[in-house]
Amino acid sequence: MGKSMDGAPPRKGRQSRDQAFDVWLKRGLHQLFDDVVNEPVPEELLKLIEEDRSKQD
Amino acid sequence: MTASLFHDQVIAILPKLRVQALALTRNRTAAEDLVQDAVCNALAAQQSFIPGTNFGAWMHRILRNRFISDLRKKRETTDIDDAPQSMLAVAARHDDRLALMELDAALARLPDDQREALVLGVLEGMSYQELADMSGCAVGTAKSRVFRARRQLEAWLTGEESVSEAAGRKKSGRVHTNAAKTIGAARPESSSMNAAVV
Repeated sequence: MGKSMDGAPPRKGRQSRDQAFDVWLKRGLHQLFDDVVNEPVPEELLKLIEEDRSKQD
Repeated sequence: MTASLFHDQVIAILPKLRVQALALTRNRTAAEDLVQDAVCNALAAQQSFIPGTNFGAWMHRILRNRFISDLRKKRETTDIDDAPQSMLAVAARHDDRLALMELDAALARLPDDQREALVLGVLEGMSYQELADMSGCAVGTAKSRVFRARRQLEAWLTGEESVSEAAGRKKSGRVHTNAAKTIGAARPESSSMNAAVV
């Protein structure tokens, strides 16, 4: 009792599975989002910000 | 704060705003529009920013409020979009791509606030306090959003079923696709999850 079928304590198995999922999730999110984040900022948006900066100065 | 510093901070935070916008909208074009609209709102309201307070939280909150306001106007939910295409452009192995598509689809099923908290927490390393400041909720609520999102994704993607899911299905008789079946088929022994641990 208190042990999983392979003999390892169940809590430890759960913990390592959670860690594995966390690593996989982080990697997956990076793959989904990184290319968008790394795209250059649209010129139009930068222009908008710079125009406002000039107005404020 | 000088106007110049304010504008420098706006430019510096743009990548993070993009992550938040994409997490909320699930659509690249809509995300770009949302970032631009949020920047416009921030520039218009720059006098209301109190120097010394958390600029990031202020900016993320503006984007979030804009998203909610746009949603109310449209009175429709956001949809899955061109994200899968962008994923397919990634030079990943076939089984990795399938797993990514499953992850993307699962993310789309999460409530907006949970998806936003999870993505900003995991990718941008935002603390629960920062997430709470950004969304105007208690720290415990921010923590709960991240926890529930992560647990729900794990349940869907590993074929487990969360308690709420099981209860919902019992009530509605809804049948969900089994994400794990696809991932399992795509990732036999050398699954990406296992590979990530090694």
